[in-house]
This record gives sequence, structure tokens and C-alpha cells, in this order.
Amino acid sequence: MEPDGAPTSSVGQTCDVGKLIKQGAEARVYSTTFMGRPTIVKERFKKKYRHPTLDKKLTHRRTTREVTAILRCRKSGICTPTVYFVDYESHRIYMENIENSTTVRDYIASEQKETQETNPETLVSLAQKIGTLLATMHDNDVIHGDLTTSNMLLRQPVDSSSPVVLIDFGLSSVSGLHEDKGVDLYVLERAFLSTHPNTENIFEHILVTYRKKSKKSSDVLKKLDEVRMREIGRASCRERV
Amino acid sequence: MASQSYELELFPNCKVTLALFDGVENCQDLKRCIMEGKVDAALLNVSMIIEPFQVLVSANKAFHVQQHGKMKTRNINSEILFNLSPTNNISESFKRFGVSNEDKSLLAVVLNDSNGEKLQRLTEQVEGTRIDMNQLKDFTDEAKIKKVYKIQDTELTNSTLLDAVICRMATKDAS
Repeated sequence: MEPDGAPTSSVGQTCDVGKLIKQGAEARVYSTTFMGRPTIVKERFKKKYRHPTLDKKLTHRRTTREVTAILRCRKSGICTPTVYFVDYESHRIYMENIENSTTVRDYIASEQKETQETNPETLVSLAQKIGTLLATMHDNDVIHGDLTTSNMLLRQPVDSSSPVVLIDFGLSSVSGLHEDKGVDLYVLERAFLSTHPNTENIFEHILVTYRKKSKKSSDVLKKLDEVRMREIGRASCRERV
Repeated sequence: MASQSYELELFPNCKVTLALFDGVENCQDLKRCIMEGKVDAALLNVSMIIEPFQVLVSANKAFHVQQHGKMKTRNINSEILFNLSPTNNISESFKRFGVSNEDKSLLAVVLNDSNGEKLQRLTEQVEGTRIDMNQLKDFTDEAKIKKVYKIQDTELTNSTLLDAVICRMATKDAS
């Protein structure tokens, strides 16, 4: 039995919603079709340890935040999946399944492997695309909340004109605070540098582009520095203890 | 094909039939027929429709809210008009997405018409010609759609007009 009372299903099994392809702490992700179009269904499950009224409200809020962020990003020209239908009764979001794509995570790994370089031209140009995307997103006061290279896709075949598609807005919010944007970048920095060895230079390109393209970049990047200092301080406290 | 029928994956027992009419002389009468219950259909302003998918997304949501008793309008046909709109203003959605008295063409949406009776009854009332659904794109007014849905060209650099419209329809309740 699943935490929300649903029958246990394992990844790869098909049920009436679709084929389960991922199960996270917050939601299950299914693959199906919607009017013939390849579709992802993201279903947030009930948290039985919460009071049901509260759970319903919080889950509803998370769902609306996610789709609001997607639309807000779209409007500013950022590539996101198209939302087809939101079922607020079962907390399911039906959205476009970006097929024939690779994650930026896999792309970076394969480019480094293929070119045997740490900073191939392709990754520098990718970094610039990411920097521009983040600048646009933050200038529209959208905080992604879970920036990683697994949440960025590239449609195949990948070439210089392929836009980066941003996905998984499950933890996003709307905020104008420089602190929130700084933290958003910090999350990406940590995820980036821990996943991809020897990419400090590439990440720097992201920030350089961000600084150039974002209107409030200097304040945000100052906050990023502060967050970095805080984390270093915390880490050294832990070591001492 | 003169008319096209679709089944919705999420509502397998529900059928949606679309039919396109041109050279229509009596939109005003048709609207009255609908109000009086003589005709069971939604009559859409064709210029606001890009592709059948747009209507199906609207119909899907209409079935969903009807099933849960959460319709915002009086019946499922008017709910289809309402769901097409990017705003929550009901009368505005009827005005923008429903046929107006002077329109010469219309897109009819008939639901659960298993034996074709509803469409037949509608066709009998229409003073106009039924034309092939493939001609739908000839009526689409992209400039008007962009204006009503408030779609800027920035968004269209990385998205189709259809996706921009669908996303707005689907996320309307969230804002």
C-alpha cells in the first residue's frame, strides 16, 4: 500500500493513469497520451500524516504554484512543457512529454567524454543559454526551487540553436527577493559542481551571462556570495564538532 | 470529412463531434434555438479556433467539472465556451468564443451524439453549408487570437500559438 492508500505500483507498471515512470517524495510521474499526444501526468499524493483539510489545501497550493510558474516562464519566452489539463480533484497535472530529448546532465557528460575537453565550445554556448534562461526567469520573479542539470532538457538533435527546456517546477514560487534568487542559483551551483567534475569554468560562464542579461543581477550575485559564505561557515562548524 | 468525432482518453464513454458550417445566414435564430433547448450543441466562433485539439482540451475540462459538480456555467455546452476563454469572466467568454448574430460561419460542438441525431437536428436548423473540417484553418484569425489570449511574440519564439493558447486554458484556475 502506498502512503496515500493507492495500490502499490512499481516503476514500469501501467495503471489507469498511465505507466509509472518515476516516484518521488512528493509525487508520482506517469507516462500516457492525451488526445493522442505523448503526455506526462504528475500526481501529488495525499500525505496521510497531515490533517486532511490542511493536506488538501497545501497540495492544491503546490499544484497551482507549479502551473503558475510554468505559465509565467512561458510568457517570458522560456521553453517549458505545455500544460494540457489540471485535475484539482486528484491533484494531477497533465503536461507535454518532451520526447526525443536529453538532459543537460547527460549532455555535459557526453560532450566532455567525446571531446576529451573540460570546456568544449558546445558547453560554453550551452552555459550562455542557461545563463540567459535564468536571468529571464529571475527577472520575472520566478524561483524554480530545484535547479539541477537533470531538470533541463535539450531536444534532439542538439545543435547551436536548440533551446534549453526547463522542467519540474514542483518547488517553484514567485518572489522578488534577491535572497531567494541567490539561493536558487546556489542550489544550481551545488548540483552542478557535485554532478559534473571540472566544470567550474562552465558554471562561471553561466554566471557571467546571468550578470550580463539580468537587470538585478548584481544584487542577486551579492546574495549568492553571502549564501556561499554562510554554507562554508556551517560546514566548518560541523567539522569542528 | 464533413464532421469529426473524437473520444477522450480520460472519459472513454464521452464523444465529441465537431462540424464546420459556412455561408450561415441565421446565427441569431440558431442562438435562440440553443437557448430554447431545441438544439443541443455549442456554437463556436471559428476565428478563435486554431485546431480541434483546442476544443477537445476545453471539452475534456468540461466533462471533468461536470462529473465533480463544479461547472461554472449553466450547462456543459456553455462550459465549453467558458473553458476556451483565458479569463474567468463568463459573459465575456460567451461574447468572444460564441457565435455572434452577424457571423457567417460557425464551428458546432456536439457531445455524446452516438447516433448522430443531435448533429442532424442542428444541421436541419442551420441555413448554411456544412464544409470539410480541414478548412478550419482558413477561418483562424491569428492576430485576434493573440490579442484575446494576450500572447506576445516573445513567447512564440519558442512555442507554437496553439501551445500558448492551451497552456492558458489549462492554467486559468491557478491564478
